[in-house]
Amino acid sequence: MTTSAIELTGDGRHGTGAPVVSFGNVNKSYGSVHAVRELDFQLFPGETVALLGPNGAGKSSTLDLLLGLRNADSGTVEVFGTSPQQAIVRGKVGAMLQSGGLMEDVTVREIVRLACDLHPRAYPAEQVMETAGITEIADRMVNKLSGGQEQRVRFALATAGPNELIVLDEPTTGMDVTVRQAFWGAMREQAQAGRTVLFATHYLEEADAIADRVIVLHRGRVLADGSAAEIKAKAGARRIVFDLEGHIDERTLRGLPCLAAVEVSGRTVRIQSHDADATVHALYGLGLYPRNLEVAGLGLEQAFIAITDAATAEEGGDR
Amino acid sequence: MNTLVKLEIKRTLRNKKFMFFTVLYPSALYLLIAGGAKTSETIGDTHLSLPVLFMVSMASFGALTAVLMGNSERIAKEREKGWVRQLRLTSLPGRGYVAAKIASAAVVTLPSIIVVFLVAVMVKGVRLDAAWQWIALTVAIWAGSIVFAALGVAIGYLATGDAVRPITMIIYFGLSVLGGLWMPTATFPQWLQNIADWMPTHAYAGLGQAIELGNAPHTKDIALLAVYLVLFAGAAAWLYRKDTRKA
Repeated sequence: MTTSAIELTGDGRHGTGAPVVSFGNVNKSYGSVHAVRELDFQLFPGETVALLGPNGAGKSSTLDLLLGLRNADSGTVEVFGTSPQQAIVRGKVGAMLQSGGLMEDVTVREIVRLACDLHPRAYPAEQVMETAGITEIADRMVNKLSGGQEQRVRFALATAGPNELIVLDEPTTGMDVTVRQAFWGAMREQAQAGRTVLFATHYLEEADAIADRVIVLHRGRVLADGSAAEIKAKAGARRIVFDLEGHIDERTLRGLPCLAAVEVSGRTVRIQSHDADATVHALYGLGLYPRNLEVAGLGLEQAFIAITDAATAEEGGDR
Repeated sequence: MNTLVKLEIKRTLRNKKFMFFTVLYPSALYLLIAGGAKTSETIGDTHLSLPVLFMVSMASFGALTAVLMGNSERIAKEREKGWVRQLRLTSLPGRGYVAAKIASAAVVTLPSIIVVFLVAVMVKGVRLDAAWQWIALTVAIWAGSIVFAALGVAIGYLATGDAVRPITMIIYFGLSVLGGLWMPTATFPQWLQNIADWMPTHAYAGLGQAIELGNAPHTKDIALLAVYLVLFAGAAAWLYRKDTRKA
């Protein structure tokens, strides 16, 4: 197996019912920057999906396209079988944007009431505030809130009515650990009520713990699409670290079997492998004598780095 | 949508600094410009004195300042902060946003117009022939300012960040000077007068000047303002929905 095996692009999984969101070969550029390339995926009812990727991977662009805040250069974006704008006007989509500002010089209660007034099938404002845990700060001015409180107000705006799709862009930024846990608790309730949840994040542990499906984006493409466990397994599940004496020939090392990635820094060699036993065996077979040899499993974080690094290496000339 | 209109008005009233400045600024400017002029001097072939002329000019100019500057800057700021993105994720139609912004601007202009009139009467001893003229002037200047409130919304959508203020300033001074809000257009060369005739500010000032003279406003001025209103408000609503740039 070579690095190309890492570019797993899963098709729609858990395919039950008509897709909630459907991207068909979507492209979007800003000037010379190709933000999203041939994006093609579907989300199905009841899924909790994490959109994972490094900064600049195209997460925010993808969400903007999904919400109709930007238009695709080519390809189709459908939400509940209609245009994103129509789905929003019908009150089917709630969104919490990373950059979503709040109205200033108003109280929390006033802004929540506004959101309820604008939603075609809104819940009572008091109930929305209760769910979001902002009843105690209802009379505070919006511009005097802490980062975490602001996020909860945004969450209230995204859940002003029974939205069938909830889109969250890095929702827990600025929240402390307790608030973060409470937030995901509230989010799980939404998912258990049968709603589809899509969230962009760079917290890998969040994707690992909360999502039942992870879509890895890199340079505007879908690199991997599957459960967190599948991604870990396919990314090169083992990590091998050792030191070498004398001249290190990186080319020889790259010829080892089952490699996902090789990194040499000074005397130390770090390898990611799909089959650590085979790799180590071949290492000795080359006549090399590795010292301080360690073999360990990969977390989703390393798996993620392995996948994106491999893709970057392959795209080398594309930079 | 009504909640948004009410909320926009409420938070404008809460912004004490903004209210204070925009309400008092036209009166201060009036005293500065009309300060030395005598009530007995009349202009050209009219029987209007400078203090009367400047009263109407400054009330119009003040209203224009408040709505144009206030709206364009606040909207550009709201776009930068992402509030407009959040609003676009609701079922609010474009006209709702524009209507709310115009309504909140109108709240500021009414007191600023009335304060200029009060100062003119009390400090400069300005008198008009009939009581209806005061009411008509207030209504005309107030209603006319809506045209510029819509222009302010449109500018707030066209420009971003640091560019908003200079762009607004250029449009604002250009419109004010060309429309004759600062000096009568009769002093302009002919070619400039021809341009001035079609300026929304000229039509706006014309409303007040006709009433000052005891006449009804010219149909042409009203029609011209109506056309500009449709144009500006339409552009603003279109830009609100169209705005796909980083907001």
